[in-house]
Amino acid sequence: MTIQRLTGTSVRRVEEPRLITGQGRYVDDVALPGMLHAAFVRSTIAHGLIRSIDTAAAAAMPGVRAVLSADDVADQIQTLAPNAAPGLFLPKFTALASGRVRVVGEPVAVVVATTRAQAEDAADAVQIDYDPLDVVIDIDAALAADAETLFPEHGSNVVFHSKHTYGNTAAALAGAVHIVTERFVQHRHANVPMEGRAIVADYHLGSGKLEVHASHQAPHALRAMLSSVLGIPASAVRVVCGDIGGGFGQKGGVGREEIVVAATARVLGVPVKWIEDRSENLIAAGQARDERLEVTAGIDHEGRLVALQVQMTIDTGAYPQLGFPASGYLNIIRALMPSAYRLTNYDFEGTAVVTNKATYVPYRGPWEVETWVRERLFDVLARVAGIDPVEFRLRNLWSAAELPRPSVTGAELIDITQRETLVEACQAVDYDAFLVEQAAARGDARYLGIGFANFIEPAPVMPSLLAAMGFTAAPRTPQEARIRLELDGSVSVFTSQQPHGQSHQTTLSQLVADELGMPIERIRVVAGDTDVTPFNMVGTGGSRAATLASGAVIGAASRVRQRLLRVVSNLWEIDPSDLELAGDGTINALGVPDRSISIAEIAKRTYANGSLANDDGAPGIEERFAYISGEGTWSQSTHCCIVEVDTTTGFVQIRRYVVVEDCGRMINPAIVEGQVRGGVAQGIGAVLFEHAVYGDDGQFLTSTLMDYLLPTSMDIPRIEVIHHHSDPDDDVPFRGVGEGGAIGAPAALTNAIENALEPFAVAIREQYLPPYRILELCGVIETET
Amino acid sequence: MTVDPTAIVDVRLTVNSAVRQATVPARTTAAGLLRDHLGLTGTHTACEHGVCGSCTILVDGASARSCLMFAAQLDGCAVTTVEGLATDGELNDLQSACLETHAFQCGFCTPGVLIVATELLAQNPSADEAEIREGLAGNACRCTGYESIVEAVLRARR
Repeated sequence: MTIQRLTGTSVRRVEEPRLITGQGRYVDDVALPGMLHAAFVRSTIAHGLIRSIDTAAAAAMPGVRAVLSADDVADQIQTLAPNAAPGLFLPKFTALASGRVRVVGEPVAVVVATTRAQAEDAADAVQIDYDPLDVVIDIDAALAADAETLFPEHGSNVVFHSKHTYGNTAAALAGAVHIVTERFVQHRHANVPMEGRAIVADYHLGSGKLEVHASHQAPHALRAMLSSVLGIPASAVRVVCGDIGGGFGQKGGVGREEIVVAATARVLGVPVKWIEDRSENLIAAGQARDERLEVTAGIDHEGRLVALQVQMTIDTGAYPQLGFPASGYLNIIRALMPSAYRLTNYDFEGTAVVTNKATYVPYRGPWEVETWVRERLFDVLARVAGIDPVEFRLRNLWSAAELPRPSVTGAELIDITQRETLVEACQAVDYDAFLVEQAAARGDARYLGIGFANFIEPAPVMPSLLAAMGFTAAPRTPQEARIRLELDGSVSVFTSQQPHGQSHQTTLSQLVADELGMPIERIRVVAGDTDVTPFNMVGTGGSRAATLASGAVIGAASRVRQRLLRVVSNLWEIDPSDLELAGDGTINALGVPDRSISIAEIAKRTYANGSLANDDGAPGIEERFAYISGEGTWSQSTHCCIVEVDTTTGFVQIRRYVVVEDCGRMINPAIVEGQVRGGVAQGIGAVLFEHAVYGDDGQFLTSTLMDYLLPTSMDIPRIEVIHHHSDPDDDVPFRGVGEGGAIGAPAALTNAIENALEPFAVAIREQYLPPYRILELCGVIETET
Repeated sequence: MTVDPTAIVDVRLTVNSAVRQATVPARTTAAGLLRDHLGLTGTHTACEHGVCGSCTILVDGASARSCLMFAAQLDGCAVTTVEGLATDGELNDLQSACLETHAFQCGFCTPGVLIVATELLAQNPSADEAEIREGLAGNACRCTGYESIVEAVLRARR
């Protein structure tokens, strides 16, 4: 029986002291002897053929050591081949553009110089001549019959198309009482981690070893990619990640620039640093969520959803990410959209196109549009049916008696608590009282609105969802942890997670401290070093740590515990069942007051006399464990947002924001709440502030934080987080919370805004709603086309 | 106007109560001086055009964006960076409050937020939540949604 002292409590963050004293170690803090600095020459046009590249002037500038373009590194960097996926066209392309550019900001050449300033000066002096091609700027342009094709070898800008049919939507729609057809537009925005991408690459000519410091979410994936494209054995590539200034999905794939920098370090035989600046990050690091969905839904006379048809098109930008395949977004959105609702007739047609825009990358809850469109649609349907939106949802959620069961797409709905979270959200905001207040305020020409959003999110992804997405082999992702008892009696925990703000050092320490009955100060969590941390291609992403990393460290710690008990049992000739871990780092004999030994003393003895712990005489104790999660690993939430919309200024004030979430048991409530609030802030930002905008010529118009607006402390309200406590019947009852906030917020907020503007009969079918757009929708100003 | 890339300047200043001096290219920013020449990497640059606030330092007691200042402008000044907030390894009240409220996540915006909050509390020791939120509005945090940071500053008023 494990003593639960720390698990479930808001233990202070282990990470915090170094971060608040300036002692964090980010990539730009790494300085190696002789280190040079790289700057990229980027395409200034959206689409064109490269006629010539003149590097002579740049090469002659002060401090410049090398100016390299695709031809110069052709023998160093193999052609890039993104992860394949069934039915998905994937072009072959080079790390530095070769022959053709397809997006503004595409890296065409790299300059390496003694200082960053010198490298940037010289980058400006590289002359590139282009023959412009027609620009394909959005979905309609990509699909046009006479469209320029980005990849002539493919012959079309459509890179993926799929059709799935569940049940019989045509028959169901024929019997529907109301049918609604709508088009929903999800605007492109971006992850915007505070620290951009960053890398220091160091190639040792003598040993042939490449050592890389990187700001990355998946160090083993970066190692594998660098190994394969540079032709360096994986064992000779070491990726080290220190503190990371956020990622939100953007740093899970491998950047072309990272590959190029590693190659330059090898060519020059000296360390090379590249620190992405903010404009580069906004232009070239990847953007997200650029989608359009045409939806037809039918309901019966009781407001029950009888059929849903979805045609979704995703604008994936010019190049595939070296990471998550674009078809994966369509597949997971299709698989998740029915959520926990009673839907049996469902068609989904998915299309992915390429355009002359930045690469589409995963962003915190990459399937967010399924929640936004569904929950937006439900408010529309509720109004058509003349039913309250909450009642509409309650009527359409699977009932307790009907669960557990698979969703229409096959995702196993287990431990679903959406009814409870929805009802609790209504109680928390006193929904009935709000409706009275809203009616009164309208009499004073004040426009209050309320919006709800329900969703279940895979945290982590479960086998049935993978199968629903079309992974016939259903690859499950076991996660390994290793734990070593150190000579001084402390414990080192090696995780494959790559935390970048998620506080895994704290949460995993809590679990191990409890399992081993030790003070948390004696636990050290080691992440981000491919020489020592367990292999995993994902690292941190997909809200997986709470279940998978926890399961792995609990398993390994449990084995260490058994070993400790066995050593003491042998020392004292006492049965292990008569021993207890006291919780203060000692082991006691039950019922024998003076019989006590510290884990530190055990450690000392097992290193001095290996045979104490190991039959083969090896010193110390080290254990490993691989954990695989099963079904039922949903996190689920109801978001409720109350706004007041000023129809004179277009300003949306969020008066209240409530999240009722069920993430199973919590390891650290304060960390859970921090994740939820941070996600909600990003979702609010998406609706009110953030938009990655391109001109018709493909120029990127929001390349600074003065144009691409982030929400501030004035914009994000207090976010009330209410935990719906459930206790899954599972050895590892913790569920991820990294993504949910960002998934639910756009739906709840846009629903609230439309509800507020009900007197104006405003239909909100696009997600980006800055003040000018609110005024356009209300008819206060003319709509700009 | 262009800066001669080969020009150099001597800068003598006080940083976190210690006298420091450096000879740097004239176009070196204040952030560059601190990070690359004085070894104080606690100050972070996240946008380099004065918007996000991560690089904020105190110059003679007043907050300044170190990415928008030249190193030469610090000559003769007294500078405080995030490394100067703790005294002899003891966290100050603001830092201790940050521990209590789980104030930060990734830590990248943190140095600038702490410096701005330090100035705010010095100027208005009884600031209320609205004043704190307004005071921090020039510092972007992408992780927290700000509540935990605001809560820390509220607690640090003691």
